[in-house]
Amino acid sequence: MQDCFDHPSPRPVSQLAALLLTAVFVLLMATGGGFAQSVVPPGNAVNLDQTFGPSAPRGTESASDFWRAFRGGDPNDLLRVLPDGRAMTTTGQYWRAFREDYITVKVLWLPAIAIVLLALHQLLRGPMRISAGRSGKTIPRFTLNARVAHWFTAVVFIFLGLSGLTILMARPVLVPLLGNDISSVLVSAALQGHNVFGPLFIFALMWLFVKFIRGNFFQIVDFKWIFKLGGLFGGHVSSSQFNFGEKSWFWMVILLGSVMSVTGLALEFPWLIGDLRLLQASTILHAIGAVALITVSLGHIYVGTIGMEGAIDSMLIGEVDENWAKEHHDLWYEEMTGKSASDPTEDTT
Amino acid sequence: MSFLEFVEGPLFLFAAGVFVLASLWRFVGIIRIGRKKDISPPKGSAAGGFIAGNFRHFFPRGIFARRTWLHIVGGYGFHLGLLALVVLGAPHVAFLEDRLFGFGWTPLPRWGFILVADVAFAGLIVLWVRRISDPVMRLISSRADHIGSILIFLVMLTGAFAMQESHDLLRAIHMLMVDIFLIYFPFSRLFHGFTFVLSRGNTGATYGRKGMNL
Repeated sequence: MQDCFDHPSPRPVSQLAALLLTAVFVLLMATGGGFAQSVVPPGNAVNLDQTFGPSAPRGTESASDFWRAFRGGDPNDLLRVLPDGRAMTTTGQYWRAFREDYITVKVLWLPAIAIVLLALHQLLRGPMRISAGRSGKTIPRFTLNARVAHWFTAVVFIFLGLSGLTILMARPVLVPLLGNDISSVLVSAALQGHNVFGPLFIFALMWLFVKFIRGNFFQIVDFKWIFKLGGLFGGHVSSSQFNFGEKSWFWMVILLGSVMSVTGLALEFPWLIGDLRLLQASTILHAIGAVALITVSLGHIYVGTIGMEGAIDSMLIGEVDENWAKEHHDLWYEEMTGKSASDPTEDTT
Repeated sequence: MSFLEFVEGPLFLFAAGVFVLASLWRFVGIIRIGRKKDISPPKGSAAGGFIAGNFRHFFPRGIFARRTWLHIVGGYGFHLGLLALVVLGAPHVAFLEDRLFGFGWTPLPRWGFILVADVAFAGLIVLWVRRISDPVMRLISSRADHIGSILIFLVMLTGAFAMQESHDLLRAIHMLMVDIFLIYFPFSRLFHGFTFVLSRGNTGATYGRKGMNL
């Protein structure tokens, strides 16, 4: 959108900038094979040159007696100390098996199933239209600060979702598709980005809680919404500012988001916990919570954009059409305007 | 020459040269435009107003502070966070020591690096989200504003991607974004990072000369 106060840059300046940027890409092309990269192990990487204990993945020495003795003890005994001073737990094997067999294989199907169901809904039933059409009159629904809090959370959530799925899908999906080298770069980038954006989600969660807690407590009228499945069966359902679905989504974000925050902090700063079993449990809870949130968020995004006519206005401009408010949030409409949502003499079409 | 060596070597020097020379060129050019001669008798100090105007605008007036607190918090968070990132981030300190100054200083620990990165990211996202959420801000924002926001976001994001310092490619992509940023900066609205002194000073000098209390 053009700025009404905007004075375009003088043409020579913009041309010069374009020229310089073009020069950069020409120079880049000139580097040819220089794109080949080298991989440097991170500071905490396993030392492949070690030949004893768990740091000897190349198997230059089996140390079978040591491992037999190590494995034969209590599997929940965490503080088994290796000769080089490090601790190791045998519960890691169960954790890895559960993660690989269930989390990265079966649970990851949930978002895919949600996408298929939403696509089917869009194809078979189409978007929910405002049955009375747009009235042309709007009423305020969300303040600027509430909208900024929502979009801030959305930006952080989408980035964390994409980077988290990249990390989770690396071994079963990315490596077979892209190979080790590219997958390694992608996962390293995703992991570091995830670590930086993770704490932002905690901030976003608190902001969201403060901004939207009002109006999200469950009410008697929400039972009608449940029995009619939000209007899918049994016609129109009354609701206040937020319906049962929105309230459930809000509390799911807050509660599951809190679990994600705690487990995420434990994984990002493992020395805060220290107990390997808690860290293993954190990865499982973190992954399950993430997939659950991502799956339900797809429905939230669908209904908030193409799935319901007029819904996106509330978060884009902060106002909604009066007829939209009457149809979807009649009790809130009456509270806001002092008018009846069902009185035909106050029809605003 | 590898891609990384190229973006950290010749291209970086070229970009830094463009950044310095073009910034000087624009800054001097703006100063050379000068101000319209004011023939009214001065009632105060224009120079004092220039300085006072610069400092006074670091703090919003009460009635505006209440309405724009989000913008203020986001703005300070982003700018101060970015400054701390650039100056105190361990990879940046090492790079500046190696390529520019020949000496270094104590960098932030990893958790501190993540903390200031979060402050900077939070500020930038808040500012950009507010730009598209506020109808008035949306109306007065041009493509150049969005390009500047996205470019600095990409510089920071690729920097976050490269934090493990385990892949040359990630470091090279970050350096490439830095190089593009340095070249783009002087010719764009990002140049407000330097011209804010002149614009605040001009306003302050005008009012200072009229004897108005800033």
